[in-house]
Amino acid sequence: MDTYDHKGGSAGPPPGVGIAGLSRRGQVVAAVALAAVGVVACVHLGMVFLHVAPSNTASKQYDEAVDDWVYPEFEQNWKLFAPNPVQSNIAVQARAEVADSDGALRTTGWIDLSAEDGAAIQGSLLPSHVNQNALRRGWDFYIGSHDEEERPNGLRGRLSESYVRRMVLSRLADREPAGRLERVQIRSVTTAVAPPPWSDEKARTRPYYRTLSWWTVTSEDLPEGARDGRAEGSRE
Amino acid sequence: MSEHVTPGPGPVPTPRLPDANPPGSGSPDSHPSTPFPPSPSPSVPPPSLTSLVAACRRRAAHAVQRVTATALGPYQSAVLRIGFAGTWLLFLLREVPHRRELYGPDGPWSWDMARQLIARNHAFTALMWSDSAVWFEAVFAVAVLSSALLMLGWRTRTMSVIFMLGVLSLQNRSIFVGDGGDNVVHLMAIYLVLTRCGRVWSLDARRAATTARAAATAPVRDRVGPVLWGVMAVPLLVGTVTDGVTVEVWLLVLCWGMWAAQGLWWLANRRGPTGEARALLDVLANILHNGALLVIMAEVCLIYATAGWYKIQGSRWQDGTALYYPLKLDYFSPWPGLSDLLAANGIVVLLLTYGTVAVQVAFPFALLNRRVKNVLLVVMMLEHLGIAVLLGLPFFSLAMITADAVFLPTGFLLWLGGRAATRPRRPVPKSGGAPAPRVPVPSSGEQ
Repeated sequence: MDTYDHKGGSAGPPPGVGIAGLSRRGQVVAAVALAAVGVVACVHLGMVFLHVAPSNTASKQYDEAVDDWVYPEFEQNWKLFAPNPVQSNIAVQARAEVADSDGALRTTGWIDLSAEDGAAIQGSLLPSHVNQNALRRGWDFYIGSHDEEERPNGLRGRLSESYVRRMVLSRLADREPAGRLERVQIRSVTTAVAPPPWSDEKARTRPYYRTLSWWTVTSEDLPEGARDGRAEGSRE
Repeated sequence: MSEHVTPGPGPVPTPRLPDANPPGSGSPDSHPSTPFPPSPSPSVPPPSLTSLVAACRRRAAHAVQRVTATALGPYQSAVLRIGFAGTWLLFLLREVPHRRELYGPDGPWSWDMARQLIARNHAFTALMWSDSAVWFEAVFAVAVLSSALLMLGWRTRTMSVIFMLGVLSLQNRSIFVGDGGDNVVHLMAIYLVLTRCGRVWSLDARRAATTARAAATAPVRDRVGPVLWGVMAVPLLVGTVTDGVTVEVWLLVLCWGMWAAQGLWWLANRRGPTGEARALLDVLANILHNGALLVIMAEVCLIYATAGWYKIQGSRWQDGTALYYPLKLDYFSPWPGLSDLLAANGIVVLLLTYGTVAVQVAFPFALLNRRVKNVLLVVMMLEHLGIAVLLGLPFFSLAMITADAVFLPTGFLLWLGGRAATRPRRPVPKSGGAPAPRVPVPSSGEQ
C-alpha cells in the first residue's frame, strides 16, 4: 500500500504482537480469520463492481447473486450527471379547486412548486433536501413507475402516485389556509436548457407538458398537519 | 475490540513465527536477501530458486505480521470517522426544521407507505418499530447524539454501531429524498463499524493515555464501559425480537458480533494486558480493520471509476459542454450569477469538463504513484469544494472530501493535527525556542 507512509510505525498506536506473538492455536484462529476476511472483502468488492458496472456478460450471468448481495443496504449509483447531465428543467406544477368558507368553488391558476423550490435554494449555502430532492426525485419516481397512459406498474407505481399527491397537497395547503381543497391536478413542464452561446445547435424552446387528470382529494392524500387545516409550521 | 476498556498493551513478545522479520527491521525492500538486488556483483551467484521462494515467503510472512499486528492508517481512519460522522451531524442539524417532513410518520412519504416498500426490500429502519411521533423524535435524537459522540470518539466502537443504525433508520425510512451524499454516508457508516477508527484523535485515545499513566500507581477500573455494554443489550434484544424475521442476517450478526466482542475484550483485559486472549482479540480486530479499510479505499476507487467511465460514454462530456448544463438547472444553481459567469466561457467549461473526466478515470491508477496521487487528491478536493457551492451540494461534497482523505499521507495529517493541537490554550513559554508541535497521544499509551 503506497498510500501510507512507511514511517507509519512511529505515528499512531504501537503495533500489537501480531500473529507471530500468538500460540499455535491462536495462530490457526488468526489465519482462518485473515483468510475469511480476505475472501469476504474480495467477494464484496466483486459484487459491488458488478452492481455499478454497466450491464455486461458477467453481471447478466450473476444477476441474481449480485442483487441478493447488494440490496438493500449496499445499493449505489454514481451516475450523477452521467452519461449525460440532465439538459432540461422539469417543473412540477399544480392547480386546485378550492371551496371557500361560503361554499363557493374556485379554481386556482397553475402554481409552480419547483419554482418555489428554486427560490428556496437560491442564495443558500446549505440547501435542504426538502427543496432540492423531495419533489424532484418524487416526480422521477412517479415517471419511472408509470407508462405514457399514466398507468402504474404495480406497487411502486401506486406508492409514487400517493407520494406525489401528498407532497403536492401539503404544499398547496400551505398556500390555501382558508379554503378546503376539493380537487387537484398536477402537470410537469419540461423546458430544454438553451444550448451554450458558442454552440451552433438549435434551441428546442417549446416546453413539453405532461398533465395528469384531476383527482378528488381524500383524507388519505393529506399529511397529518394539513388534515387539521393547517400545515405543520415546520417549513420555512 | 472496544478501544475503551484498555489499559494498553503490555510488553511485546518476540515473534515466534519462523520466517517473519522482527518487527521494526525496516521495510521489506531493505532486507539483505531481496530477490532482485539492484546490481549483483559477478562474484555472487545468481539467486537460486530456493532462495527466491524463501524470500517470497519472508515477504508474505512480513505482510501477514504487519496486517495482524497493526491497525493500518490510524490517522486516515480517524479522519474518516470525524468526516462522515461530522457530515451526517451537520446534515441532521440543518434538517432539524424539516425532520418530520423528511422522515416523520406523517410526512408525504407516510409511515404506511414506507412499510409497504420495506416489506419488499427488507431494508433496516428502526422507525418501522412504531409509527408514533415520540418514537420518531427519539430515533432522530439518538442519531444526532451518536453522530456527535462518534465524531468526538467517545466509546467509538459502540457509537459507530449506533451511528450506523441511525443512518440506516433515517435513510431507509425515506429513500426518495436522498442523493449521492446520503449514499456515500450510508455505505461508509457500515464499513466504519469494522474499523478501529478511534485509536487517535478521540476521547477514547485521550482516556487510554491518562488511564495508562494512572495505572502505573494504582489499578484503574472503567465503570462506564460495562454499563454501556449492558444497556446496549436492551435495544439489540428489542430489535432482534421485532425485526428478527425480516432483517438481513448479516446486520444481526454484525451488531451482536460487535456486542459480544466488546464483552470479550473487557474480559480479556481484566485478565491482564499480556494474556493470550487479549493478543488474539487484538489480532482479530486488526485483521477486520485492515480488511474494512481496504474495502473503503476500493469503494472510493469504484465511485470515481464508474463516475468517470459513464461520463466518457456521454456525448456532452465528449463535446466538452457537459458542465454547462448543470449550471443551468434550477435545482443545482443556488448562485445563478456565479453559474452564468462560469457557463459563459466555453473554453473554461471545456477544460473543466475534460478535466473532471480525466481526473475521475485516472484516480485509481494515480494511487500507484505517491506524488501523482497527492496532486490528484488536491484537485479532487478543490473540485468538490466548487461543487459544494456552485451546485449547492455541500453535504455530498463534504462526504466525498472525507472519502478522498483516506488517501492523504500520514505526514500531512500529522502536520494538520499538530496545527490544530498547538492552538495555545495556555501561554506558551517565551524562552526555549519554538514549542514542539504536540503530536496527539496514541490511544494505547505505553508506560
